[in-house]
Amino acid sequence: MAQPLIKKDDDRDDEDNYSPFLGIEKGAVLQEARVFNDPQLDARRCSQVITKLLYLLNQGETFTKVEATEVFFSVTKLFQSRDLGLRRMVYLIIKELSPSADEVIIVTSSLMKDMNSKTDMYRANAIRVLCRITDGTLLTQIERYLKQAIVDKNPVVASAALVSGIHLLQTNPEIVKRWSNEVQEAVQSRAALVQFHALALLHQIRQNDRLAVSKLVTSLTRGSVRSPLAQCLLIRYTSQVIRESGNITQSGERPFYDFLESCLRHKSEMVIFEAAKAITDLNGVTSRELTPAITVLQLFLSSSKPVLRFAAVRTLNKVAMTHPMAVTNCNIDMESLISDQNRSIATLAITTLLKTGNESSVDRLMKQITNFMSDIADEFKIVVVEAIRSLCLKFPLKYRSLMNFLSNILREEGGFDYKKAIVDSIVILIRDIPDAKESGLLHLCEFIEDCEFTYLSTQILHFLGIEGPKTLDPSKYIRYIYNRVHLENATVRASAVSTLAKFGASVDGLKPRIFVLLRRCLFDSDDEVRDRATLYLNTLGGDTEIDNDAKDFLFGSLDIPLVNLETSLKKYEPSEEAFDINLVPKEVKSQPLAEKKAPGKKPTGGLGAPPSGPPSTVDSYEKQLLSIPEFANFGKPFKSSAPVELTEAETEYAVNVVKHIFDTHVVFQYNCTNTIPEQLLEDVIVVVDASEAEEFSQVISKPLRSLPYDSPGQIFVAFEKPEGLPTSGKFSNILRFIVKEVDPTSGEAEDDGVEDEYQLEDLEVVAADYILKVGVSNFRNAWESMDPDSERVDEYGLGPREGLSEAVNTVITLLGMQPCEGTEVVPPNSRSHTCLLSGVFIGGVKVLVRLSFGLDGAKDVAMKLAVRSDDVTVSDAIHEIVASG
Amino acid sequence: MGLWEAFLNWLRSLFFKQEMELSLIGLQNAGKTSLVNVVATGGYSEDMIPTVGFNMRKVTKGNVTIKLWDLGGQPRFRSMWERYCRAVSAIVYVVDAADPDNLSISRSELHDLLSKPSLSGIPLLVLGNKIDKAGALSKQALTDQMDLKSITDREVCCFMISCKNSTNIDSVIDWLVKHSKSKS
Repeated sequence: MAQPLIKKDDDRDDEDNYSPFLGIEKGAVLQEARVFNDPQLDARRCSQVITKLLYLLNQGETFTKVEATEVFFSVTKLFQSRDLGLRRMVYLIIKELSPSADEVIIVTSSLMKDMNSKTDMYRANAIRVLCRITDGTLLTQIERYLKQAIVDKNPVVASAALVSGIHLLQTNPEIVKRWSNEVQEAVQSRAALVQFHALALLHQIRQNDRLAVSKLVTSLTRGSVRSPLAQCLLIRYTSQVIRESGNITQSGERPFYDFLESCLRHKSEMVIFEAAKAITDLNGVTSRELTPAITVLQLFLSSSKPVLRFAAVRTLNKVAMTHPMAVTNCNIDMESLISDQNRSIATLAITTLLKTGNESSVDRLMKQITNFMSDIADEFKIVVVEAIRSLCLKFPLKYRSLMNFLSNILREEGGFDYKKAIVDSIVILIRDIPDAKESGLLHLCEFIEDCEFTYLSTQILHFLGIEGPKTLDPSKYIRYIYNRVHLENATVRASAVSTLAKFGASVDGLKPRIFVLLRRCLFDSDDEVRDRATLYLNTLGGDTEIDNDAKDFLFGSLDIPLVNLETSLKKYEPSEEAFDINLVPKEVKSQPLAEKKAPGKKPTGGLGAPPSGPPSTVDSYEKQLLSIPEFANFGKPFKSSAPVELTEAETEYAVNVVKHIFDTHVVFQYNCTNTIPEQLLEDVIVVVDASEAEEFSQVISKPLRSLPYDSPGQIFVAFEKPEGLPTSGKFSNILRFIVKEVDPTSGEAEDDGVEDEYQLEDLEVVAADYILKVGVSNFRNAWESMDPDSERVDEYGLGPREGLSEAVNTVITLLGMQPCEGTEVVPPNSRSHTCLLSGVFIGGVKVLVRLSFGLDGAKDVAMKLAVRSDDVTVSDAIHEIVASG
Repeated sequence: MGLWEAFLNWLRSLFFKQEMELSLIGLQNAGKTSLVNVVATGGYSEDMIPTVGFNMRKVTKGNVTIKLWDLGGQPRFRSMWERYCRAVSAIVYVVDAADPDNLSISRSELHDLLSKPSLSGIPLLVLGNKIDKAGALSKQALTDQMDLKSITDREVCCFMISCKNSTNIDSVIDWLVKHSKSKS
């Protein structure tokens, strides 16, 4: 009997997975939607059609404006039905259609009626839909009802109004802010849902006011929050307040820590976890603070619920990066999770163990992982590979077993990302562990013999070209490389030719043999391969020793960002004058600072084109500056800084400044935006007080004639400064202008204005402004090619610091140089670190800096600073900057 | 109304149940929503807010259920009138008879609407509202100024009413009920 029964169950499972709407077509459904227009409505049928429409929309089907509008208007006819279920579907579909259909405003009146109806279901849903379709002017009409709804005794209605408030805050902040009192009342509600939504809205209303958020948290942590979800939110806000309040008080106590700790004993698991996570995320958390959090997470590890196990192991994984010792207590529990059914949990457990493990446990772990690797997906494998890489860097002595493991998995099946992660790891190990070089290179050679990814093959060939010639027996790699010329596609063949040439250039003994091979490549079917072979034969040709130019050409790197080269080449028009690579700008374009405006600051109404923000890329600055005749004789700007905000978010006038550095001048470009629709500013100037910047003297000030609402304008102030020196100074700024009232409806300004001032924040010109961030791809080569006589070395004590990475970041920002080869990242728990920086000093002098940091005693950081540059005085200047900074 | 009578009405409506659909249009502040209220409940209020979009009301008169689409009269909604007039039993066009300044706009909106092919042949009822006010037009003047004589492709009727004083509302209802029968 048991047999057929099981079979029946299986059948039912199949049915569950099969959607009744599978394969329905938009056209047919739109036809069906005509039933909405029938004089005698069939509520059941209509509901079904709406369900189909919703299904289509959720499957990513899009309706054209005409289709959406047509459906929308037929749906509005359904307001005549009194069927509860159908009405609910009507609300849903209107909400979904509202962004794409025209004239959705037509349902406003009907919804307002529903909003005041006796049926709670109508009221709650009507509120949600109404807020979706309404605009600013209508909102003021219904505001009264919404305020009432927030404090309604029915929780569903109240929470609908609160959620709508959260949405409306994005578009009409000033209206929603007026509801504070009602929202505050709702926070005290007995209904869990209402409390949750009310807290979220209240926080959003106040999010830009730190003091208010802090007050909110202070009052609520005294314990009036009943809903677990709201409690979770409160924990998040609390940790935000802790983060912003910064330092621990004198007594070593952290504000609100007690609250977080008490949440660890809450009866809801969600809250416990949130609190534990918040504690582990605290800035500079001490192990004493961590202990209770780790203890509850350890309990979760053996929970029967997979989601708890996952959450716990994921958090522990993060903690292990910074505090591996704190997590070791959980190692036994985690080892049992390696065999967990859920692969995500297992992977996280493995990687955590890899981070916390000690040298003796490495071999045992590797054995366990090898069994486990075959049955997880690629993305998990990548995580494991990365963990193994850092483990290997931590215990260099164990490289043999780890390298073996990596080469084994390299041979197995896998996708591109996975293979790339492995190859990257091997490359890093070769670079950092000299002993591993030979075996690592051979593993890579073996890999390219059977590698399906062109990108990886070329990368490895390039790497071989650099590292191979330096090994004891370079000739053994030639075979692998030359095989590529026979067996691979054109791209790989071309890079194999380059690699061969590099061997030829570096190893004199191999040169004749390389020549033979290169000559054979002259008959390749591909242009690029033949071109390269001819080129290398010529540059390396002749029996005399290879001159430095050829070496430079082969090994030197292009010190120009490729993007810049590309744009310059596109701009170049064929003419008598040859393309000059030295004219290509070297500044790495920073991503245009995404304007992280507070959501409330978005232009309301959304009419017309978005306001043209201040142009943020260097190129456009340059054009803008050159177009101003007064600045024409200053020359070409050396550097333009990123915009620095001089006002807080959400103030009346938003001002940021860009510092343009010229050889003998500095120009401040103030980008101003007037955010008050009722005002027009005229004759706007910035009064700059340079009394704390003695070496600067103001020469030009270009005021702005008028600054209307929401259209940014620029004010320029220029200063003269000593040539070539990194002169620093502090400037205080006041915005002075004439205010004229504007009638918001007609847009006409009054004739009389009032003079007014607005205090801006101070602005500093620092040494970093005189240094361009220009990266080099191979720091060592660049360093060695510089004159060793220009080197200046000195040692500095940086005093007590939070940690090495904090010290490293401080020095990088102080100098404003480009970190190379990822050395700005300090591995967790290291006691020493070397950071490589490169840049161009004002006057076009190339500078390289090598920083060695060491932890001395408990928290004291010592730093050794070595500078090389084309100009000795610049090396000295860098030291001066560091000494005074 | 006695219980017995209500029961009889209900019984009668079961057998002779008829439905009709009307759309109620006209410029803003002509008194459309007030008319709905008067027809549905008999109540009148001075204090009305403009209709944003439309209101849907069902009214039962005798054995006829009338579905009323009461549409907003502000300019932004006028383009949507046509959508709610398709396939109705009759179009009811309300005019403020005491507001001569807007009559020409009212006339052109009406003629624009009636020129739509989708609405051809649908009977039209023009109501001159607010005759309680001093200076309200007469029926003849309204017919002339609205140029109703030029509409020949459909049945057209005109009444002068006052929602405030419930003048002539009964004849309106009679006219409507009659048209529901003729249609079905």
